[in-house]
Amino acid sequence: MTDVGIDALTYWLPASSPTLEELEQRGAVRGAAALASFGFRQARVAEADSHVDMAMHAVRALLDETGTPPDEIDLVLYAGALTSSSTMETAVCPAGSVLHMREFMDFFKYPVSRLQSEFDLTSASVAGIDQQGCAAIFSAIRFARATLLAEPDVRTVLCVSADRLPHDASREVVYNLVSDGACAMLLRRSRRNRIVATHQVTKGAFWDSGSLENEIIAAYFPTARTVIETTLRKAGVALDDIAWVIPHNVSLRSWEILLGLIGCPREKLFSANIGRVGHTIAADNFINLRDAADAGLLRKGDLLLLFTFGYGLNWSCMVVEH
Amino acid sequence: MALTRHQPRTILVTGGTGALGRDLVRRFASAGDASVVVLTRGVSTSAPSVTLPGVSRLTGDLRAGSTLGISPGDHAALRGSVTDIVHCAADTVFNRPLPDARATNVEGTRALLAFAEECPNLERVACFSTVYVAGRSTGCFGEGDIGGQDGFVNSYEQSKAEMEAVVRDAMARLPITLYRLSTIIGDSRSGAVSGFNAVHHALRLLYQGLAPMVPGQESALVDLIPVDFAAAASHHLFEHAFSAGATYHLCAGQASSASLGALLDATTAAFERHRPAWRKRSIARPALVDLDTYELFVRTVEEARNEVLLQATRAVQAFAYQLAYPKIFDARHASAVLAPAGIEPPHVLYYYDAVVRWCIATNWGVAA
Repeated sequence: MTDVGIDALTYWLPASSPTLEELEQRGAVRGAAALASFGFRQARVAEADSHVDMAMHAVRALLDETGTPPDEIDLVLYAGALTSSSTMETAVCPAGSVLHMREFMDFFKYPVSRLQSEFDLTSASVAGIDQQGCAAIFSAIRFARATLLAEPDVRTVLCVSADRLPHDASREVVYNLVSDGACAMLLRRSRRNRIVATHQVTKGAFWDSGSLENEIIAAYFPTARTVIETTLRKAGVALDDIAWVIPHNVSLRSWEILLGLIGCPREKLFSANIGRVGHTIAADNFINLRDAADAGLLRKGDLLLLFTFGYGLNWSCMVVEH
Repeated sequence: MALTRHQPRTILVTGGTGALGRDLVRRFASAGDASVVVLTRGVSTSAPSVTLPGVSRLTGDLRAGSTLGISPGDHAALRGSVTDIVHCAADTVFNRPLPDARATNVEGTRALLAFAEECPNLERVACFSTVYVAGRSTGCFGEGDIGGQDGFVNSYEQSKAEMEAVVRDAMARLPITLYRLSTIIGDSRSGAVSGFNAVHHALRLLYQGLAPMVPGQESALVDLIPVDFAAAASHHLFEHAFSAGATYHLCAGQASSASLGALLDATTAAFERHRPAWRKRSIARPALVDLDTYELFVRTVEEARNEVLLQATRAVQAFAYQLAYPKIFDARHASAVLAPAGIEPPHVLYYYDAVVRWCIATNWGVAA
């Protein structure tokens, strides 16, 4: 089998980073003390940029950094968690809610088409991936890998993910502090950040997330363990072989519990960004992957475990060889 | 050992309307050789056990002291007639505040034994305890062992261990035997549950998908018994093999217990079998975790002030903390007497499915 890897990766975060106290004063969180005890310090808030703006910032940085000619990109997969992330924002809808779109045709203003146009990705076909909460980008990577393995003429896939909460939304979601942000990455037939295995479990029974909050919290842990164990088995590796766990930035406390469940030492968790970045819906694991690499923590050949969870409900995991 | 009697038997039963007590009352009454007096606190007076021929009810309360909360006239009459006392009454709520648990289990027993010392015709006394007086100890816990050296998991265990100390002290003056029961979960023939306890509560949380994790090890044995075994065994020991000063374990033991992992699998299998729609809810089997991880989860739920999950974790906590201290109960003394009489605990997986089915069918005793 040909190897497929994340050949290049960037992210974009808004500059605005209010603290928990500031967010509480704004009414954006209610339980600042509990959030602090769960490991959060500040959120990233896109004051002026839309989710499409953030996606473009991330893609521009990626193309500039890698010097990738636009026509090298054969496929663009745009992942979003929020339903509003799969459409453009309009003048009457600065918060991006599809429920407030003025014109019928506004529903067909797709961010991924805008990206293709903006960056002159004329060789690329495009698709949107959503309805998987924070796990959408994992699916984008999975489908990108499958396409690269199945279609010889596809050589480079651009995966993009961006989400921004509406301005008036609470940033406290099920004991987590939610940030805005975006990531972009190029997948190629490459051994750089080679994707060893992926696994996803969906439990549609929990589709009505608002009415099942306690059941969802209860379902999260045992299913997370099963998904991680299954991914490791598919990768043919043991937990001891994993050098780093690259998390989604849900509460540090929940990670400590999950690490206890799977029997993983706390030291293997790259947790530096949970406090300072918060939980970006779209991009946590890949912000963390980039920062861990930039910090010199990752050695070539290190096996990394990436795990995330999205409403829907979806549990997604992958093993990556750095 | 058969006793030589000089007067009609009168058996005073406390807790006679409870899960075990009502079965014992029925057995004593059906023998037809004794009057049975059931001391009740005025609740469940319509329970079948107190409406049988030969069974009378006396309203009282052990927490009232040696008067038993009954009238002086009844007290005098009972004192003069009682030949046997079977003390089943207990506060079996696992997480009751300790003073409240002590009030019934320790002081109530002390009061009953003080009464017993005033009974001139008393021939024998049975006191029911729990094998879980072993508390946090691990390994093999024998009938001669006194538990609690490593502390207790809940107030029920502690209060029963303190009750045993009271009983052992009284053994010098009274013909007392101690029966330590394992956790009773239902009837092995019908699956009927006459008293829902912490195990059933935990099962309900599993059913509702509110139990994400349970402290314990996959292979740890969980000792559970059916009420019909507990009743048959204690009745036989009391009636046909009474031995003052002895302690017996009425438990499943290694041979008739299943592992925690096997019980969880049997639980989810029973849910799916008896409520096929449950499968669609995609509820995961709870993860088995070490105590540190479980306590971290409990602390998190407390800090998050999530009332639903807090109640759920506390309910699991009351029962399941014991699972983090794996142990095997040695019942060799009881088995030596019971096995020749053909009284042996059935394997839990033989009747467990029926118990779960009963719980589902009755919605755990809660009106829908």
